[in-house]
Amino acid sequence: MSVESLIGRSLPRLEVREKLTGRAQYTADLYRPGMLHGALVGSPHAHARIVSYDVRAARAAPGVRCVLTGDDFGDHRMGAFIKDEHAIAKGKVRYVGEPVVAIAAETEEQARAAALLVEVRYEELPAILTPEDALAPGAALVHEDLASYFKVFEAVCGGNVCSRTELAEGDLAQGWRESDLVVESEYRTPAQAHVSLEPCGALAEVDPAGRVTLWSANQSVFRIQASVCESLGLPMSRLRCLTPRVGAGFGNKMEAHIQPIVVQLALATGRPVKLILSREEDFEIVRTRHPFQIRVKTGVRNDGTFVAREVEVVADGGAYADDSPGVLGYSLLMARGPYRIPHTRCRGTLVYTNKLRAGAFRGFGNPQVSFATETQIDEIAARLGIDPVEIRRKNALGTDDRWFCGQRLGSIGLAECIAVAERESGWADRAKLASAPGKRRGLGFACTAHISGLLGTGAIVRLLEDGSVVLNTGAVDIGQGSDTVLTQICADALKIPLDRVSIASPDTDGSPYNWGTTASRVTYTTGRAVFAAAREVERQIKTHAAELLECAESDLELRPGGVVGIKGVPGKELPFVAISARAHWRKGGPIIGTNSWVFDQPTFDPKRAVAIGLPFPQIGVYSFGALCVEVEVDEITGKVDARRAWTVADVGRAINRASVEGQLEGAFAQGLGFALVEEVVWDGPRLANPTLMDYKVPTTLEVPYELHAHIVESPDPDGPFGAKGVGEIGINVVAAAVANAVAAATGVRLRQLPMTPERVLRGVLASQPGG
Amino acid sequence: MSALKQVHFPKTPEEAARLLARGDGVRCLAGGASLVAMMNLDLVDPDELVSLAEVAELKGIASLPDGGLRIGAMTRHRELETEARLAGPFAVLREAAGKVANPPVRNMGTIGGVVALADPAADYPSALVAADAVIELASERGRRRVPAREFFVGLYATALAPAEIVSAILLPPAAAGVGLYDKLARVAGDHAIVSVALAVTRRPRGDLGVGLAIGGCGLTPVHRAEADVLLAAGALGDAAARRAGELLAAAADPLNDVRASADYRRLAIPRMVTRAVARAREELGRLG
Ligand SMILES: Cc1cc2nc3c(=O)[nH]c(=O)nc-3n(C[C@H](O)[C@H](O)[C@H](O)COP(=O)(O)OP(=O)(O)OC[C@H]3O[C@@H](n4cnc5c(N)ncnc54)[C@H](O)[C@@H]3O)c2cc1C
Repeated sequence: MSVESLIGRSLPRLEVREKLTGRAQYTADLYRPGMLHGALVGSPHAHARIVSYDVRAARAAPGVRCVLTGDDFGDHRMGAFIKDEHAIAKGKVRYVGEPVVAIAAETEEQARAAALLVEVRYEELPAILTPEDALAPGAALVHEDLASYFKVFEAVCGGNVCSRTELAEGDLAQGWRESDLVVESEYRTPAQAHVSLEPCGALAEVDPAGRVTLWSANQSVFRIQASVCESLGLPMSRLRCLTPRVGAGFGNKMEAHIQPIVVQLALATGRPVKLILSREEDFEIVRTRHPFQIRVKTGVRNDGTFVAREVEVVADGGAYADDSPGVLGYSLLMARGPYRIPHTRCRGTLVYTNKLRAGAFRGFGNPQVSFATETQIDEIAARLGIDPVEIRRKNALGTDDRWFCGQRLGSIGLAECIAVAERESGWADRAKLASAPGKRRGLGFACTAHISGLLGTGAIVRLLEDGSVVLNTGAVDIGQGSDTVLTQICADALKIPLDRVSIASPDTDGSPYNWGTTASRVTYTTGRAVFAAAREVERQIKTHAAELLECAESDLELRPGGVVGIKGVPGKELPFVAISARAHWRKGGPIIGTNSWVFDQPTFDPKRAVAIGLPFPQIGVYSFGALCVEVEVDEITGKVDARRAWTVADVGRAINRASVEGQLEGAFAQGLGFALVEEVVWDGPRLANPTLMDYKVPTTLEVPYELHAHIVESPDPDGPFGAKGVGEIGINVVAAAVANAVAAATGVRLRQLPMTPERVLRGVLASQPGG
Repeated sequence: MSALKQVHFPKTPEEAARLLARGDGVRCLAGGASLVAMMNLDLVDPDELVSLAEVAELKGIASLPDGGLRIGAMTRHRELETEARLAGPFAVLREAAGKVANPPVRNMGTIGGVVALADPAADYPSALVAADAVIELASERGRRRVPAREFFVGLYATALAPAEIVSAILLPPAAAGVGLYDKLARVAGDHAIVSVALAVTRRPRGDLGVGLAIGGCGLTPVHRAEADVLLAAGALGDAAARRAGELLAAAADPLNDVRASADYRRLAIPRMVTRAVARAREELGRLG
């Protein structure tokens, strides 16, 4: 009997009806009896010492049940890489908007009204607003006690330098000697806001035994549990973290936001407390993509062979380290791109400033460096008179190559990605592109690669009495569709229909550890665990069946529909219900398959490379991609419109094609925002555009109707069904490809994002004779 | 906490005006697209609202005996966007309506609301100035008419008196001509960085009447009669267009804001004017 595999199909999301009918429950929808509402008082200063609080009026205000200041929190710090952050400002404030006082009241209006009554006395300190300020001799220190903070890696830090990382292979001096042409430029990229549809929020409740349950918008219940406990000095056994539906996370919900404060309010009042950030607060106090200053120098031979590259990055991390050391290190690891460049050195400096922290954001530093490196490749190609696609193909990594710093590559579909993007876009005929009067059209190309996750993950597959299955992984589906994909993997492995598998909601009490929904990792890492746990269930089923059918386990096979039978003997079979009933009631015990693993392939090979301040020793397998974008530039205003795009990714194996396409399309849209319009702007120390009126993201009218997502499948030897990650890869080189297209259309090379009409028009005018 | 105590539903403009006279805390409510958003942000906190929803006279677009149009203040952007009678030079208003925000806002917001609010970043004011429209106002004292070119006086400031409402927008009889509205914005649905509103009428004797106004570049629409005259006299030629554009760029007082710099706006005005004028010239040529 042959049944269509569940793998590779465009199955609809499991929760599609719930979401389309508005029944999905997000944190804001939750209610608990006796629930209070929280509100925050934010710092008006970028950098100041807190002298005193006067909260008497707020405490006396109607409905107020609790007012907490930094003095009500212990001296505990959290941080993914450097423990530098209290749950709420304590002693000092380090950015405008930083929470200094938290209030719980009977209604949200009362809590917010009371917040206006709080008086805090500050002694202002010099505000460090740029990396230049931060690195200036004698600059005020954002963290005076940096040296004493606990760090999870060998951080090279001091002064306002949060961390420095250097990665190198080969011999740069030799590289420059061997180069016929050396090109060097500087690039700048802005802070970008995540703008997830759902603002951050949390709800905490203390049970009669004093144990806290916390529901929140997050990308990892386990990271939240760790961060809250670390920042409040609680044992992890005292906190249970749960996740209702999440309205997207692009990195903003990976580390804690307001969860520690909400838990402290609940502990202080003994009542449930909910706090949902307004859109403005979400802009002001969560996190952004790092602004980068990037210098790239590349040496090539006249035939287009890449020989040497030097990269220097200065990243503005804002007031707290958060995921920044990781972002910096990762960006440097990506700065050689998916190419062979024998002599490469990438160095980066991450600085503290008195601004909102920067942190994880789809691409994790890759979009920033790729904007620089992938546009510089086009400049080199132009100087050498080589086709931009050809020069990439010529230098592209092959199966025998290693990633920068030495990691082995399991599968590389890069050549095919390039070929697909080239063919589908009609690249060869691009000279024939017709432009409307007053417009100029051009095509731009770029290549990329990205990891598929790292760190620890697990899965538990339990066979219920009736032969159906409960899958529990602890992975948060943030809207990208992992619940569906993991269910497909589990159901396919056991050859049972999708609706016979239910997937448990992440719960730190009951789910196996999962580092998080981040780093494009869930399908690859958790998928592997699910597959292995399902295999374990299969093994146990076969042990029972072998006894019942009196045959060897190796003679047995799973048959579609939840049946195990003897190979080649159609009548000899048993349904899972028979096996499970036996296991539950008579012999062996309930069938539970588990698996857990941690990614352990080294990133760095000391025989090939030098690495200083590397924040992560082991980091995922690689997905590859290519992108071609056609833009139209308005000659009058300089406005750039993306007209068509072909986004191609090697994802190993698409478990759910529609979901993979959705990730590529969504990432393209977000990348287009980064390329053309999005920028978090500071007016002095304060955000100038923390609203959706002033901060704009692309709409459906900006995203080209002709956005073609193409899937290449070069299976990873260890991935579930060969799958690799796809969550981020589609964003990495959108800005670069758009910039290359703008250059093709106008001859103007922009090295700063976003490519606003103003920047494009000024570039065009400056390049015209007499301009 | 909201102070709102009461919402009134008058049936005539005069009754609405009388209710508004009850005090400073009384505001009128049209589509609510802006007012309710401002209330949600605690920027305004009215005690009472006077809804214009049931004032029959404010609804719809009527053709006047002289061939002109009377656009009721409660006419939604969506209705204007699809209104075939907004032809010839008045297409400027139709095009502007189609470029306001996004479909939900266009289904909600009204022309009277935009005119009364006088947000400097809005789309209609420059279009109404270009079209030389007249704003009709109603109060307990009766009706009065103010040309759009005199109506917008500053930031959220108009010729509207206390306890007075916008009752209609009046357009003169349509003549042959072309109207167009070019809006440069960061993304669809955003307010304009620069907008160009142009209405050109071919008079019976063959000479041209031109109205050109710039939006998004100051507290009120930027309009200069000399520029209109230049364009008419120069038969919409490129040279005249450039001079008119430069004149308006000099007259504009744009801001540096998150949408664009003031310098860029000044740079873009003559360029966008020249393009708009060229388009009008071509369309006029096609009219024969
Ligand atoms: C997200 C968003 C985007 C927008 N983008 C644009 C844009 O790109 N371009 C643009 O032009 N506009 C834009 N707007 C504004 C939109 O056009 C509103 O519809 C308009 O400003 C107000 O119209 P309204 O009928 O909703 O008025 P309301 O919100 O009901 O009222 C606005 C103000 O005018 C007063 N008022 C209303 N009607 C009258 C009247 N007849 N007489 C006297 N006073 C009156 C009210 O008291 C209030 O003070 C946007 C609005 C939103 C919410």
